[in-house]
Amino acid sequence: MTFKALQPLALLAALLFSGFALANGGEIAPQAGNPTEMVWQAAQQGVEGYTTSQSEFHPQLINSYDLQMLDWRNDWLSYGLFAALFGMIVVFIAFTVVNGPSKLSKGFSGKMVNRWSKADVAIHWLGAIPCMLLILSGLVLLSGKVLIEPALGTGAFAGMASAAKLIHDYMAIPFMIGWLLMSVKWAKNQIPAKYDLDWFMVVGGYINFGPFKGKHPHSGFANAGEKMWFWTLVLFGAVLSVTGTILLFPNLVEPSRALSLTVLLVHAGAAIVICAFAIVHIFMTTVLSEGAMECMVSGYCDENWAIQHHDLWYDEIKANGTLKYMEK
Amino acid sequence: MATMKFMCDTKRCIECNGCVVACKNENETALEWGIQRRRVVTINDGQPGEASISVACMHCDDAPCMKVCPANVFSKTEDGIVLHDKDRCIGCGYCLYACPFGAPQFPKKSAFGGKGKMDKCTFCAGGPNTEAGSAEEKAKYGANRIAEGKLPMCAELCATKALLAGDAGMVSDIYRERVVGRGHPAAGWEK
Repeated sequence: MTFKALQPLALLAALLFSGFALANGGEIAPQAGNPTEMVWQAAQQGVEGYTTSQSEFHPQLINSYDLQMLDWRNDWLSYGLFAALFGMIVVFIAFTVVNGPSKLSKGFSGKMVNRWSKADVAIHWLGAIPCMLLILSGLVLLSGKVLIEPALGTGAFAGMASAAKLIHDYMAIPFMIGWLLMSVKWAKNQIPAKYDLDWFMVVGGYINFGPFKGKHPHSGFANAGEKMWFWTLVLFGAVLSVTGTILLFPNLVEPSRALSLTVLLVHAGAAIVICAFAIVHIFMTTVLSEGAMECMVSGYCDENWAIQHHDLWYDEIKANGTLKYMEK
Repeated sequence: MATMKFMCDTKRCIECNGCVVACKNENETALEWGIQRRRVVTINDGQPGEASISVACMHCDDAPCMKVCPANVFSKTEDGIVLHDKDRCIGCGYCLYACPFGAPQFPKKSAFGGKGKMDKCTFCAGGPNTEAGSAEEKAKYGANRIAEGKLPMCAELCATKALLAGDAGMVSDIYRERVVGRGHPAAGWEK
């Protein structure tokens, strides 16, 4: 009985969805159906009419788009960002436990070689600190409802979500400035070279066992891994900045609703890539590569670190006289 | 258990905007300036084929707002009514993008989270986590007529009974009777 009673509604729903399919397929064949059908067809195609309401998007009756987008976001991207963050941490902890850190084979020399200017260190942290906060707040906004709320409860999650929104909005600006400055200022040192292939062949020389043990591949100012991270940051940082601007300033950009949703998905996808690389980057400098962190603290690196990891660069600055030691 | 739905009969709607006024008046305690939960859209205005439809939140079965919301603001009552929790809304505006019907609205339109708390039609069923009929509920969400055993004010005050609200089965029964009465062959089952 109930099913029968629902049938007209089901028919309407079927009409609605056939409308979605048709709208996606492009042109709708003109139909000489009854007037009610014509009204529904027009509504499905996104017809705009007259309304006294001044609210956004109100002249349009139905805004059709692929509703599957919402499922992709919930079922894949939410878990993807979570996996990119915590999965990479677990992988790297496991790797470090098995492999151990990559030590300087001759130990620290105590002589510090200038590698980055003060401005370089400054723009690095201008991008890096917001980047970390954006990853964490983005995790709350993208994965929180499926992973954090069930784990920590509604009260805790509600507070986190509103804080994450504010952090994400405001940290976006310094990140974009830092990203732009780094992309422009550092690109000349990041051009791929022939010896980068050899770097990949020995996995960068960080492996402490097997056939790669003790290998130190040639490398210029940046090694192949650093170049890969740099260009990933340039590319996906651009995607994040453009999509983020659309989401952050809808009053200036005035995107359509379907564009905003698409942008939301692209933003999440790019964030997953950046997040995975950022975790690798942080682990490399803090745990895996002994002496690497110093570069972005003082701008200087140990001479033995420079010789072991960036021999071609070291030889070059030594030869052309630009080598500068830290003044004691 | 009912599954609450709105339905607007385009053959009857005369674009009087009575439903808009009824909604505004009934829920004015919760509505900030510039927000109207219901609107009437007229297509082909002044031309052959003119039709008017009253639109608000459709209280979808698979509500896109519920799926897209990052803060789990939305919940569904056992009557199938989609309610929003204003305490949890972070003003991101994603529901505005996801809703096919343009139901969610925000009091502000500035960048940097300046959107404020989302508001939309509650089917005159108040909001979650507030006592039915309390002053708090009235201030946040407006009327709770459902708790009093009444239907939404917009449909109750519709002069031509174009806008129907209630259990989906009953609404479609009424609509089917009308279609039969209008002499449609096979009562709308065939074209």
